[in-house]
Amino acid sequence: MAALIHRPDYARYDFGPEHPFTPARLSMLLDLMRELGHDLQPLAAPAATREEILSIHDEAYVEVIEALDRGEARPDAERFGLGTPDNPIFPGMDLAARWLVGGALHGARLLMEGTEQRVLQLGGGLHHAQRSHAAGFCLYNDLAVAIQAMVDHGWHVAYLDIDLHHGDGVQNLFYDSDRVLTVSLHESGHYLYPGTGHIQELGSGSARGFSLNVPMEPFSEAEDYLEAFDAVVPQALAWFSPQVLVVQAGADAHFADPLGDLALTTQTFQALYQRILTLAQRHAQGRLLVTLGGGYEAQVVARVWAILMLTMLELPLPEELPAPWMARWQHLLGPDLSPHLHDPVPAYPPLPGREVRSRHNRDTVSRLLDTMSRYWF
Amino acid sequence: MLVRERMQSPVTTIPAEASLQEACHLFQSLGFRHLPVMEGGRLVGVLTDRDLRWATSSLCPTPRGSTDFVRTAMSSPPFTADPLDPVEDAARIMREHKIGCLPVMDGPEVVGILTGMDILDALILLTGVTQPSSRLEVALADRPGELARLTAFLAARQINIHSILTYPAPDQVVHTVLRVGSNQMRPLAEDLLKSDFNVLWPPPKPWQH
Repeated sequence: MAALIHRPDYARYDFGPEHPFTPARLSMLLDLMRELGHDLQPLAAPAATREEILSIHDEAYVEVIEALDRGEARPDAERFGLGTPDNPIFPGMDLAARWLVGGALHGARLLMEGTEQRVLQLGGGLHHAQRSHAAGFCLYNDLAVAIQAMVDHGWHVAYLDIDLHHGDGVQNLFYDSDRVLTVSLHESGHYLYPGTGHIQELGSGSARGFSLNVPMEPFSEAEDYLEAFDAVVPQALAWFSPQVLVVQAGADAHFADPLGDLALTTQTFQALYQRILTLAQRHAQGRLLVTLGGGYEAQVVARVWAILMLTMLELPLPEELPAPWMARWQHLLGPDLSPHLHDPVPAYPPLPGREVRSRHNRDTVSRLLDTMSRYWF
Repeated sequence: MLVRERMQSPVTTIPAEASLQEACHLFQSLGFRHLPVMEGGRLVGVLTDRDLRWATSSLCPTPRGSTDFVRTAMSSPPFTADPLDPVEDAARIMREHKIGCLPVMDGPEVVGILTGMDILDALILLTGVTQPSSRLEVALADRPGELARLTAFLAARQINIHSILTYPAPDQVVHTVLRVGSNQMRPLAEDLLKSDFNVLWPPPKPWQH
């Protein structure tokens, strides 16, 4: 079983109707759970305080967000990555972001108190946010604040990022910390935002070897992804032996996501979630904190994150999506939605260049493992 | 981008009459690979770690020892740069002569040093990869106004451009690589295609046709 964290205020983190990071993704998901007959009653966490935000972010940056939150004009906003098409300004943005951070932090506290072993924060995963810079839809780094709290508690924290994009914010914030292992699998930064996450990014100083990156070629499919995951993640966790595993579970590596080029399916995500549960059990003393993340196609995120929730709650997966739910959300789901929870098999026609891509992915992983063998053995 | 913006300053130099032992110690302790060599207040050469290794190698026909003068092993005369030279000109000189550094001169004074590493830093900065950004590659026709058409398109969507690099391709086409401050490249690429831009990256997804 897992504890769920969510409150309606998360919907205030809203960059407007044209923006892909829309809170409607979550409303749909929660409604789907209700329709499936699960009375979830998630825990409502308090907003993170200013001081808690300052455990990670610079005060100058927080002050700008607070001013924008109040509707004040700040001509220097763009210098902090704010007021761009990716990170538009909206009233109430400081508190909206603090609600999300509060949720992740609350999850961390439940783990630290020993109240819970598995926590799923239904929101957040704002892994691009930097110390004094908003980036890629992320204002405050909820993951980093939660990780920092657990580091202060004396724990070694492993962070696993399966979002389509490189988890650059979390990596940078703990780049020189040997208390935090960051592992990110993502579409290669040669092609996709934010342009980083190369295998040579290993951490600095005494933390060299504590940042791992597994960049995948565009259009990589389940087989390659799971092979890379299995080659790197279990070994890394076994070596680091953390007290907790934190996971950013973005769903945008799905083939139908509008922002990226990886080609995972719902079945791949289910396999990933099962692996993550096993790994937390085996290598992280059973402690697991999962947040959501990217994922920009309504019908994909609803299905993928439903699988995430049901897997973490150890509830059975339905074959079919309930018709009333589909009817209620048709305006977002689109007219062509299949009534099945899982993607069809095969989900798409064979992709050209598969062999070249697989070879490249294998080379990348073996180069990374060659480097890591120096630290691991 | 000028040499003075990228050069390292102040510079550690070595007298021509210092010993190779002293030079070796400087290379080791400071992690340098190049030392400008001074004599009578003037630059007379550059000693590289490669010069030193060759001069003291047993394979060298006239091997020198640790007490020999730096003068006996340095490369001379040195190629130099002016602080106001554009970095691309400095890069070309280094490439043409296959050398790893240029002492930077203001009159007789050595005011800085530009090494291959500084040129790599310049390349990284010029390509914009130091900021979270996305790569967009468009093939533009090689005629006036095409780049303006592209940048106007991005400006209309409030998209900040971190860098633009262009290089010629066959058939009167200019490959244009931009790093832009946006995470939403696929929707942007689709809009560009609709406006008759030849987008090379990101390509359409194979299953969406």
